[in-house]
Amino acid sequence: MENQLPGVSTPERKIKIRIERIDFSYSDNPKDQKVIDDFNLDVFDQEFISVVGASGCGKSTLLNIIAGLLPPTHGKVWLDGEIVTKPGQDRAMVFQDDAVFPWYTVRQNVEYGLKAQKTDTSERKAIVDQVLKLVGLTESQNLFPRQLSGGMRKRVDVARALAIKPKVLLMDEPFAALDVLTKGKLQEEFLNIWNDNRMTVVFVTHDLEEAIYLSDRVVVMSNHPGRVRRVVEVSFARPREIDLKTVPEFQSMRRDLSHEFDQSIE
Amino acid sequence: MEKELIARVRKRPKIYDLLPKIIVPIAVIILWVVITQLKLVRPIFIPAPQNLWNSFIGMYEILPGAMLTTIIMTLSGFAIGVTFGTVSGLVMAYSKTIRDLLGTIFDFMRPVPVFALIPLFILWFGIGRAPQIALIALGTSVVLGVTTLEAIRNVPTIYIRAALTLGADRGRIYTTVIVPYIIPHLIGAIRVAAAASWGLDVAAEFMGSQQGLGYLIIMQQTYLRTAGIILLVIVYSTLAVIMDTLIATIERRITRWTERRTSIGVVASIVGSS
Repeated sequence: MENQLPGVSTPERKIKIRIERIDFSYSDNPKDQKVIDDFNLDVFDQEFISVVGASGCGKSTLLNIIAGLLPPTHGKVWLDGEIVTKPGQDRAMVFQDDAVFPWYTVRQNVEYGLKAQKTDTSERKAIVDQVLKLVGLTESQNLFPRQLSGGMRKRVDVARALAIKPKVLLMDEPFAALDVLTKGKLQEEFLNIWNDNRMTVVFVTHDLEEAIYLSDRVVVMSNHPGRVRRVVEVSFARPREIDLKTVPEFQSMRRDLSHEFDQSIE
Repeated sequence: MEKELIARVRKRPKIYDLLPKIIVPIAVIILWVVITQLKLVRPIFIPAPQNLWNSFIGMYEILPGAMLTTIIMTLSGFAIGVTFGTVSGLVMAYSKTIRDLLGTIFDFMRPVPVFALIPLFILWFGIGRAPQIALIALGTSVVLGVTTLEAIRNVPTIYIRAALTLGADRGRIYTTVIVPYIIPHLIGAIRVAAAASWGLDVAAEFMGSQQGLGYLIIMQQTYLRTAGIILLVIVYSTLAVIMDTLIATIERRITRWTERRTSIGVVASIVGSS
């Protein structure tokens, strides 16, 4: 098992991320409750996968482990057949809280990752212009984040992550702090962007509707300790319109997951 | 209550804004004139305005030179102290080895009253500008070193996590996240250090100086010229106020990005920024 190289392409679909027997606890004491216990999951290349679970089920911790920001207590995360040990530009992250640098303008924020990569100036300019246009921030590029609304700041955050052209985008409840209208609008916009620029997305949320609307698969996590409780395929055709949320099949899937979700909390 | 708070928000004519601000200083000056005119207190304790003017005429020729000496010394000590303090705070945060090496010394030096070191400094650096500048630099660097280290510890982890996932290394995180974040937090310490540096300069000049404003104060004291002392204190205060205003102006320029409390509204009236 250990010698076998995970992440090797299967005839059908290439595995992008393999999460293998992940345990996580904040102390070394084995008596302490584990935050994550024996979590296993394969994420396919260019798949949009959501992880849903109640607050404190370890879903954000899982994302931080994939990002390489936290080392797992046991187990491994493989990305393209290599073990993840530290953050890398192949994985970008969008956070729930406001992570846009307030001391930089919108444009400076978006070009941050490219500067870290030392991309040459003309190429950087082209990418930044393109990404700003994609999220509709061209007009606001010279403003400071404090001059923007919450939704606009979130667009900056997404643009900053997209600019480095990551293979994997990790999203930690990115739209949770927004009002319902802005949230719906950003979900739709983001889905359109993803549709035209496919990449692997691991999206953490506690909003089932959001998870179903966006994803190819939804992973329901159990609580205390965090494990995979159920994985559901979402097979609605793409591109998806916002109206999909009102379709009976969508609602029945939502009810079904909601039931699972309630049981996971108990 | 609420009505009153909101009422305060409305713009009033300038003269009404200015009046409360100058009423106390004017009262003090009137009191001063009355006391000295009626000879309620001996002039050696509180000299009359006329004495101050005479004293100014008397020192007119040596004042610019003394001011220049004092300004140069204070600013050099302040600049060296702020630079050294900030850099050592940054370096201590950056490297655990350096933190372990220097941290203990910093912790040990922080509570030491700098003025107690004056005789030692004179012994080591001799009489003249060197020990005085060193004293000012030491006094200000301790303030800045401690504040810098503390400010870095308070940088929200989310910014560092974001920078890491965008591919920034340790050095880049320092220059692009930590330094911009801590600057507004350091301004307060820099202003305190600036005010303290004038005080440190006076103390330094009291001990074996041959020029400068502090030296002039000692000379005035020797001849019991109270008016001269008060005049020199006013000069010191004016210099300190000018410096503080300059720093505040620079602060506004370099921290345009920070979320300032707006100067209107109920919140502003509660925190005293309206």
